[in-house]
Amino acid sequence: MSVAPRLRWRRLGHVFDVREARLPDGFMGFAQAPQALVLDDRVRIYFSARSVDANGGKYRSHVLFADFAPSLDRLIAVSPEPVISRGGLGCFDEHGIFPMNVVRVGEEIRAYTCGWSRRVSVSVETAIGLAFSRDGGRTFDRVGPGPILSATVREPFLVGDPSVRVIGGTFHMWYIFGTAWRRVPGSSIPERTYKIGHAVSVDGVDWTRDEGVQIIPDRLGPDEAQALPSVVEIDGAFHMVFCYRETADFRTNVARGYRLGHALSADLISWDRADADLVLTGDAGAWDSDMQCYPHIYEHAGQVYLLYNGNEFGRFGFGAAVLER
Amino acid sequence: MRAFAQAPSSLVLDDVVRMYFSCRPEADAAGQYVSYSSFVDLDRADPTRVVRVAEHPILELGGTGTFDEFGIYPVSVIRDDWRLMAYYGGWTRCESVPFDVAIGAAVSTDGGETFSRLGPGPILGRSLNEPFIVGGPKIRRFDGGWQLFYIAGRAWMLASGRPEPVYRIRLATSSDGLHWSRLDHDLIQPRIEAHEAQASPDVFSAGGRYHMFFSYRRSIDYRGKAGGYRIGYASSDDLVTWVRDDPQAGIQVSDDGWDAEMVSYPHVFEMDGRWYLAYLGNGVGRDGFGLAVLESGLG
Repeated sequence: MSVAPRLRWRRLGHVFDVREARLPDGFMGFAQAPQALVLDDRVRIYFSARSVDANGGKYRSHVLFADFAPSLDRLIAVSPEPVISRGGLGCFDEHGIFPMNVVRVGEEIRAYTCGWSRRVSVSVETAIGLAFSRDGGRTFDRVGPGPILSATVREPFLVGDPSVRVIGGTFHMWYIFGTAWRRVPGSSIPERTYKIGHAVSVDGVDWTRDEGVQIIPDRLGPDEAQALPSVVEIDGAFHMVFCYRETADFRTNVARGYRLGHALSADLISWDRADADLVLTGDAGAWDSDMQCYPHIYEHAGQVYLLYNGNEFGRFGFGAAVLER
Repeated sequence: MRAFAQAPSSLVLDDVVRMYFSCRPEADAAGQYVSYSSFVDLDRADPTRVVRVAEHPILELGGTGTFDEFGIYPVSVIRDDWRLMAYYGGWTRCESVPFDVAIGAAVSTDGGETFSRLGPGPILGRSLNEPFIVGGPKIRRFDGGWQLFYIAGRAWMLASGRPEPVYRIRLATSSDGLHWSRLDHDLIQPRIEAHEAQASPDVFSAGGRYHMFFSYRRSIDYRGKAGGYRIGYASSDDLVTWVRDDPQAGIQVSDDGWDAEMVSYPHVFEMDGRWYLAYLGNGVGRDGFGLAVLESGLG
């Protein structure tokens, strides 16, 4: 492969600050895993906000959106309510959806969801669902009550974080699967490790996975947890941006927490890790000084944008950067 | 193991018929059980005579966070050339509902004494139209193919605040026993109510047709005699379209005794020219399983 082009992203700053933008009643903050849908006159950015269960005080994630002017410098509106209903009793997405990847396929707008349901011996299990919108992305209906991708023989748990693109007539999905739940020093609950995988499909519904195959090499070793893959083609090369962290002590220890990773591929099969080639220019803000996570790349009007969360996993909202050519 | 002998499933060996079943140690401090699967060998000439009871489970429980961390139940074993394949329901515990189930597979190369998993995850778990409780597998090989009869949950009903699952009988097929294709619809229509729960499909071939025994119950209030498990029957020419005719099952609850409140989990098998029916009684197998022998011909 030729010399990898650097991706220099110029910070646009904290475009969605949940402390200023009013979330609908019942949401206590967080705007996690921003994902864009480009509309005629605006960019709709979906994100997961949290409510707190009256019973037990646990968090639950719900998908809202914020509409922005295409340049991302003006917030137009925030959705008044979640775009998709809560999952049913005992279903894979009963306790939240985070993230939700929205994809335009011809005239259709569809969403690939990562549904969360709580467990007893571990905190959570996830699986990937599918929903369609018939009103331009304001609301979504599930295709069925169950997931389209869930645990399999070699991906035993935590199948989630879908990101779908149609390339050359084939649906590609990058997603994550769990490789370990284990007890680590300093934590009272088992912590999880997951890796990025790849699936293909002709219709975006029935998928063929390279089951249990980790496509992005580790930088931190086997304890590296990789999440939120997002892929874009730039000048004939495929770039993936994702986030990664250590399995243990990642919540408050800045040195072990989420940061952005980067990989390159010519064929969508083999990927070279190139974290150093991803550069965020401009000053970090108080919101993204310690952590960058949950990236999402989209293109609009000849520009390539990067959305991401900052400190405390997106507690304060999300920001953006634009690719410098 | 303290109690229960659930979900009997047979494997005919040279001198014995090995009956796999599931059992439970004492409940934990929170009153919750785990299930293990094991076997008992019965004399092939006189299956009322126990030759040997296995001392260990055939498979250990799964690791932290896996689908079979809290139970392996039921298990269904079949020959595949030089090895044996086991298909089983793996149980995990959930917060809003008590449990979820997915189907795992394991291989034995020591004649069915012990098994090892194909991998740490399930071969058949939740899918678009099977949102939870994919379990109760019965493996069969008819006409050169592989058939997996199982159940899939369709609703968790709240009865006095307690979630109760409703499930239906489903079929997946395979050419190798490893990669499965789901038929994706219910095989048996409900009879006693719209939310009838159906379980433990047991299919055999006789007289040029396929026969299925299964158990069914009401959606709620099913732990006593009135709404409890009964054994149903259906027949089919193609394994896909089934005609239900419960009176043909020919087995009902007894007037008294261990199977007076309910009968469930039927398993029919042929051995040395005779047909046997193994089934569970009260408390879904709390006191063990029974065996019946067919008196009339199979229609």
